[in-house]
Amino acid sequence: MSDFFIGLFLATLITAILTTRLYRLLFWYALNSLFLALAAMSEAVAISDEAMLISALLTLLLKGLAIPYILKIFAKKFDAQRNIVPSIKVQYSIILIPAILVFTFYIIDPIVFEASKNYISISIAALLLALILMIEHRSIFAKIVGFLMMENALFLLAMSATKGMPMLIELGIFFDLLMAVAIINLLLSRESRHA
Amino acid sequence: MIAYTLWLVVMVAIAPFLLTLIKAIKMWLLFKKPLSLLQGYRNFTKLLAKEIVVSKEASIITDIAPAMVLAPLIVVVFMLPPPSLSSYYIGFVDAFTITGLIALSTFFLMLLGLDSASSFGGIGSSREAFISALVEPAMILVIFSLSLMAKDLGVAKAAINLNKHFPLQHLASFTFAGISFFILLLAENGRIPVDNPETHLELTMVHEAMILDISGYYLALVEAAASLKFVIFASLFVSFFLPFGMDEPFFVALLLYIAKLVGVSVAVALIEVNTAKLRLFKVPNLLGIAIIFAFLSLISYYILGA
Repeated sequence: MSDFFIGLFLATLITAILTTRLYRLLFWYALNSLFLALAAMSEAVAISDEAMLISALLTLLLKGLAIPYILKIFAKKFDAQRNIVPSIKVQYSIILIPAILVFTFYIIDPIVFEASKNYISISIAALLLALILMIEHRSIFAKIVGFLMMENALFLLAMSATKGMPMLIELGIFFDLLMAVAIINLLLSRESRHA
Repeated sequence: MIAYTLWLVVMVAIAPFLLTLIKAIKMWLLFKKPLSLLQGYRNFTKLLAKEIVVSKEASIITDIAPAMVLAPLIVVVFMLPPPSLSSYYIGFVDAFTITGLIALSTFFLMLLGLDSASSFGGIGSSREAFISALVEPAMILVIFSLSLMAKDLGVAKAAINLNKHFPLQHLASFTFAGISFFILLLAENGRIPVDNPETHLELTMVHEAMILDISGYYLALVEAAASLKFVIFASLFVSFFLPFGMDEPFFVALLLYIAKLVGVSVAVALIEVNTAKLRLFKVPNLLGIAIIFAFLSLISYYILGA
């Protein structure tokens, strides 16, 4: 079942790369986190790990609901540009995205000798795709969403490669993320004062 | 044989109902008074009684094209994947035949648009050619990866194989193919992100522009073809991407099948209410997404399945 959710995770990430509206981008980020949380839940039930279940629930609440909502409030507060056009054209993305996916599969191939090789290569591909999302936009909000998506990809990597990190580290990452959003608020307020 | 015939009759009979259902749900969600669910049948009988007016510029194409728009689609209905194992009758037809027959129907629709020599017909035909040319590569890729997963090229056999042993290890690949096929369903049937079936505004119309000059019995045939095309795509989607319930007794399976078709119509209606129509030159971007997902489905079949 977690295969299905990881497929949807990748699908929402790809759609986010191609979108041109800010609120729609936040919506795709929320869905991306939702599918990540569902994948983690099904994985946690499969290996009966309560700590992972808790971190999946935290993912759902924090990344699926709270952070997109806070970012939307920020976007309203700082009057952000809502039409964000990617600087990479769709015609090139059509070639680029499958190329990245194939490329990561062949890069991972000699490094890892495990059953979870596919998941590791998918999460590294998601990392690179989130990097594309950061590169292709000029807007600060899109760059933030790219950063958060990259964090999601790292969560997937940790979940699939090591069967879940220790609970303490995961909680630390969540607090880091919240701090990052708070710092972004500060950054934006400075930027809007200068502009 | 009886089950097969009964299923065919149900498919043709339910066709106008589904399009009317989409319209009714949209009106209900926009706080309008929804139209009666029988309106599709009423329109059909009304058009049958009306007089045929043909433009004086028109050639013999206008007389034969409406029948040729409908005929390939009726042939396709015979070859679709069955709702239950007892109505399985034709297994040798592959999806390329079905795509080809649908393209034949589209070809005659485009000729019909060009034939009356009005400028709108030409606009509509050129747009339709543009969209269907973009749909084709994604369609072929989706069908190819589906036949790989189901281990058979024939559509009916592939659906039965999917029902028997569902490829759980290819679930990611399956999801990508499903997303891609749903976008194709919207594009081929002229639903909202691609074409608005309800307006007659010259800037936006595609399907309506081609059939602007015909009337009466001919219009009834073309409208029936449009609703039949939606049923064909919805039924292909349902039997490939929701492949369960074929082992049930025939009537239960048929009811389940109709319920799934209604579910697809509701999903289409919800998408139509929530999205704006795309500009014509943004349509390649949407279909580009469909091509990406179809390609990903093929890639992830080879790499994840190994």
